[in-house]
Amino acid sequence: MADKEAIVYVIDLGESMGDCHGGRTETDLDWSMRYVWDRISTTVAAGRKTWTAGVVALNTDDTNNEQDREGLDGYENISVLQNISPLTMNSVRELQPKIRPSSSSGGDAISAVVVALSMIEQYTKKLKYNRRIILITNAEAPIDDESSEEVARRLDESDIELIVLGVDFDDAEYGFKEEDKSSAKANNERILGNLASQCKNGVSGTMAQAIEELSIPRIKQVNPFKAYDGALTLGDPATQESALSIRVQRYFKTKRATAPSASTVVIKSERGGGPSQSTHTADEDVEMGGIEFSGVKHMRTYRVNDPDAPGGKKDVEFEKLAKGYQYGSTVVPFSESEMNIIKLPSKKGYEILGFVPFSSYGPFVNMGETGIVVAQSHSEEAEVTLSALIHALHEMESYAVARYVQKDDAHPQLFLLKPNPGLEDPFECLYDVPLPFAEDVRSYQFPPLDKVLTVTGQVLTEHRLLPSDDLNVAMSNYVDAMDLSEFGADDEGKPAEYAPIDELYNPVLHRVNQAIKARAVHPDEPLAPPADILLRFQYPPEKLVKEAKFEIESLIEAAEVKPVPEKAQGKRFKKDTVKPLSGLDIDSLLGQKRRTTISPENAIPEFKQLVASAADDATLENAIKQIGGIVRELVRESFADLSYGRAAEDLRVMRETCVDLELPALYNKFLTALKTSILSGELDGDRRQMWTEHIVGRGLGLIARDESEVSDVAVAEALKASYSFLSWR
Amino acid sequence: MAWGGYEERRPDADDGDEELDENDYKAQKDAVLFAIDISRSMLEPPSATDSKKADKDSAVTAALKCANQIMQQRIISQPKDMMGVLLFGTKKSKFRDESSARSSSGYPFCYLFKDLDEPGAHDVRKLKELVEEDEQGSDEILVPSKEPANMSNVLFCANQVFTTNAPNFGSRRLFIITDNDQPHGNDKTAKSSAAVRAKDLYDLGVVIELFPISREGKKFDVSKFYDDIIYRDPTAEEGISGRVTSSKSGDGLTLLSSLISNINSKQTPKRAYFSKVPFEIAPGLTVSVKGYIPLHKQEPRRTCYVYLNGEQAQIAQSETTKVDASTKSVDKTEIKKAYKFGGEYIYFDKEEAQKLKQIGEPTIRIIGFKPRSQLPTWASMKKSIFIFPSEERVVGSTRVFSALWQKLLRDSKIGIAWFLARSNASPVMVAIIPSGSKDEENTGTQFLSAGLWLYPLPFVDDVRTVDLDATPRPADQLTNRMRSIVQNLQLPKAMYNPLKYPNPSLQWHYKILQAMALEEEVPETLDDATIPKYRQIDKRVGQDMADLKAEAAVKAQSLMHSRALKRDVEEDDDGDRPAKRAKPVKKESDSLSNTQLRLAYEQDTLSKMTVAVLKGILASKGLSAVGKKSDLLEKLGQWVEENLL
Repeated sequence: MADKEAIVYVIDLGESMGDCHGGRTETDLDWSMRYVWDRISTTVAAGRKTWTAGVVALNTDDTNNEQDREGLDGYENISVLQNISPLTMNSVRELQPKIRPSSSSGGDAISAVVVALSMIEQYTKKLKYNRRIILITNAEAPIDDESSEEVARRLDESDIELIVLGVDFDDAEYGFKEEDKSSAKANNERILGNLASQCKNGVSGTMAQAIEELSIPRIKQVNPFKAYDGALTLGDPATQESALSIRVQRYFKTKRATAPSASTVVIKSERGGGPSQSTHTADEDVEMGGIEFSGVKHMRTYRVNDPDAPGGKKDVEFEKLAKGYQYGSTVVPFSESEMNIIKLPSKKGYEILGFVPFSSYGPFVNMGETGIVVAQSHSEEAEVTLSALIHALHEMESYAVARYVQKDDAHPQLFLLKPNPGLEDPFECLYDVPLPFAEDVRSYQFPPLDKVLTVTGQVLTEHRLLPSDDLNVAMSNYVDAMDLSEFGADDEGKPAEYAPIDELYNPVLHRVNQAIKARAVHPDEPLAPPADILLRFQYPPEKLVKEAKFEIESLIEAAEVKPVPEKAQGKRFKKDTVKPLSGLDIDSLLGQKRRTTISPENAIPEFKQLVASAADDATLENAIKQIGGIVRELVRESFADLSYGRAAEDLRVMRETCVDLELPALYNKFLTALKTSILSGELDGDRRQMWTEHIVGRGLGLIARDESEVSDVAVAEALKASYSFLSWR
Repeated sequence: MAWGGYEERRPDADDGDEELDENDYKAQKDAVLFAIDISRSMLEPPSATDSKKADKDSAVTAALKCANQIMQQRIISQPKDMMGVLLFGTKKSKFRDESSARSSSGYPFCYLFKDLDEPGAHDVRKLKELVEEDEQGSDEILVPSKEPANMSNVLFCANQVFTTNAPNFGSRRLFIITDNDQPHGNDKTAKSSAAVRAKDLYDLGVVIELFPISREGKKFDVSKFYDDIIYRDPTAEEGISGRVTSSKSGDGLTLLSSLISNINSKQTPKRAYFSKVPFEIAPGLTVSVKGYIPLHKQEPRRTCYVYLNGEQAQIAQSETTKVDASTKSVDKTEIKKAYKFGGEYIYFDKEEAQKLKQIGEPTIRIIGFKPRSQLPTWASMKKSIFIFPSEERVVGSTRVFSALWQKLLRDSKIGIAWFLARSNASPVMVAIIPSGSKDEENTGTQFLSAGLWLYPLPFVDDVRTVDLDATPRPADQLTNRMRSIVQNLQLPKAMYNPLKYPNPSLQWHYKILQAMALEEEVPETLDDATIPKYRQIDKRVGQDMADLKAEAAVKAQSLMHSRALKRDVEEDDDGDRPAKRAKPVKKESDSLSNTQLRLAYEQDTLSKMTVAVLKGILASKGLSAVGKKSDLLEKLGQWVEENLL
């Protein structure tokens, strides 16, 4: 909500807050501040002018507050550290050194609340605000409760919420009780608890709970966005009297929440040349805590082919370019005024095409996010008609298919409308999801999973690719054993669905947010690992795995899977003799005219065939040498970069063969020589593009030890060989 | 980059520095060369009949029309892929331009009509003209040679076309369309030299797809010749066998539509989105699968910048360099990732930024199962990914996968899994949903295959809170009326078949472009399948709708009435029951009833309300509550006039 907000944190800085209690190694203050900094950084992150906050410190050595200045009694040792205002990173940096335990204990907590209260009253006047005071204390210092009733009344009058968070306060509901509590503290706890309960909007709780809840990611609420307000029609109301038209509104039900996006920057001081006196524009440089950042821009240059230019390309100015679209390889330039005719004219509307049964549709056909369609709130006619449609669809187990145009001239979309008669959301509505169009479908073909068709057209139901009865039973038992539908627990501890959607937090989004907040408050600390709650569903629940141990083991046994050894994966099939469908023995046909030379035109097939038929290493070396020669010639004779692709493909086959045959040295030797030739320009001109784009760019560099154990080239060495060239350029 | 080779890569995209995929060094592009047999029988028009629906196309015409249609389709969906057309058995021979080709006469009776290349507007026109030429009976190109072409020449010609024009394409295919199952009779030498050339193509990585045309009374027998030519990769899924489907005219289906549907089913090269992600079905049981994206929103290509000052319009290639404010170029190592926070930058160095986004290793890990009914109908986020078993890494994957698929299908269950496609991708929770195959009507082409789908679930962060005031109502008489409408207005075959609904904006976009590229008249209308069939709707359910409307009007009236009464009672109650005080004040103003609102409007007391109250009312009506008080008053006044008076 874009509501305005005024929060005052009242923080106890008393001497005892600097001590550690309850077996913690953190001081009470540091521990409590985890909560406060988290809240404050949330406010800072929002960067909203209307979200404001202030800080009042209790039990400070000195005194600084309005009431005391006015000469009122009982306001000693209370200091306003931060007046109510929007918070920035600067406020955080200014606040940080002030949050230190004092050597005093003479402040009165309720007086501090009064200070906060009048700050809020002054700041918010009678405007619409969410007002809140959060009191953080270990309640070791004495409190005067004489005026608590009066204070509670004033808080109510000003519509202020009071939250008391006490260090080691007893909380039966949360289940915490401090042993050996001093009677003074117990008394203070009681006083503060009473104060909170006297308020209309008051709560008192224990700090441990607040801190525990910090790790539960906060979900950013987004106001409902109305995407469509208009008619849902059946038939054409413009031309047909019978046509049905229901006034509806459409909102988003799901919408991808994205992690904050990072900008690319450089730190100015790390850039050579000292502080830049050059012409930089102010808005690109941002300062933070003395570090000056400079935004990184992308400079675009445009080039076109020009046979007369060196390298076959020339730069052109952006201003000289027209906009256009491509129709395949044909470029169609458009003037600004023509841009419009390429858009299909369309009229806003939501028109039903027809209906389909539930059973004809699978959710995996959904193409995107869900919307909610409801009747316009003030139209009874729309309400009853839409309700009838929802119920009819629900009873008939049918969906509607409709054409949706969000506004005039928007792209028409097809939506599937699903009925919700108050079951999934507590109100009646239709859910809609986008459907694919013809162009969106790629008809990939896959063989059936429950039978095997042989080449001769036979249908087999028993085959090594099909599960045996044993495997089917084991799988069935396993699936049933790992049922999550009642494995979780609801608030009352009753069995409930495990991992429902409202417990699935986006790990990256919250991880990034947590890290940013942490870094903002403590810039020097290293990254913390992601919170456990974000990774909760990464693995099956341990308890369930334990319970299903037998089913899991039986399944593994029945499955009998074997990993293919790493090495065999690459060349497994190459060892088999390949035959056409008829099974004709091609090798014997080829054998009749045994090859010894490779022609450049048909290099790859002839190379492969020569290698396959090779009986000794000399033949192999000869084949590799020959194809290497062809690569060199292709590069040398290439008009500009015309034959580079072909040369690279020959090279790729050569490389693959060398890896398979465990002859990496042959390839590496050839490639090193090729690089030298390219560098020296002896291949008829500047052929560096061949190296950078086609060899390095396609991963055809030296074969290192990670690919072939017998290689004498280390990984780093191979990388260096590939890129040393680049820096040279 | 695993998939989506068509998107021009944006070097400036800040996030998504995508990892290189295993296949990256081999361009994930597809090249298809149509080889069409130009024989006397292929050119022969079908025997004339009186039937209006009778086929009028000769086999060659059908093949050319088909090639043209596929070309136009590919321009829309895969413009960076190549296509070519080779005619064989022609009297004339042509390879490349006589001037540049070293071996122009090397392939007798082969006519390279369109060299393998990215197709453009002129290729579409040329093919269209060739079809017309054929229909008028031509003596130019479509003239058969006296003797049939030597298949080994045809295959070697194709070999050269692929070698030079698409050397490094991930997928290269030769589509042979012919009605002759025995091009060389019993000539053993010719047959074996064709077989040798076919082996060359296999070694080159070119796949031959045969689209035979069968004639009445004569079956196309692949064993006579083509079985020696066609190979199947033994690592490819078994079951997609070498079986070929013949195209023929008859059964109310033209040869053209039969051919198109056969070719379409093989048209799109199968590209895996991932192939190394382990599928952890149970703790200690991992199988290998490949992931595919069979459904993907097709968008028009982005605009490009065109250089018009040369001889020919050409696209300007852009290159980007990273520079700082003083336009000094920036080295990769200096770059920091920074987040705006409270008006400042919070930064992480490169390793940290990378670490932030890395949550675990790529995997599909099942954490348990749920009944399908526990998947909320609204839980939809984006397209699903299809997975299919592969024996490449784990032997036995297919049977385990099949057992899981059968179990889920049989008991209406879904798997719940943690899914990470790449190590720097965002993990998502997915529902694993089985699909049974859905046969497309009469052709036997599958719209979606049987397998498992990774259906992305929304995170709680993605769910919007929509609190709407629409109290569920009981079903009633109106529902019954509506039921008969729903019953009588089913889509054809009672299913949504996307193939019947081309995207109108996309079609329009390319139609206009094509016309402009060819300098033809720009079309004025589009045959838009997504527009409802109004006449049919009126005919089938017009009466029902009229009745329903009348009843709804009556019911709405009485509902309005009873609500007004109830509201009055409530308002009276408000007066003497102070117990309601606990309700926050602002809430009451929000829920100001329409009657009260109308009253306030008529008595001109709206302006006495505070801005906060006005905003509350506006928001409750779903109107924007932004602006000065005068704006708010105006908006509210207008709303009251439109809706309450």
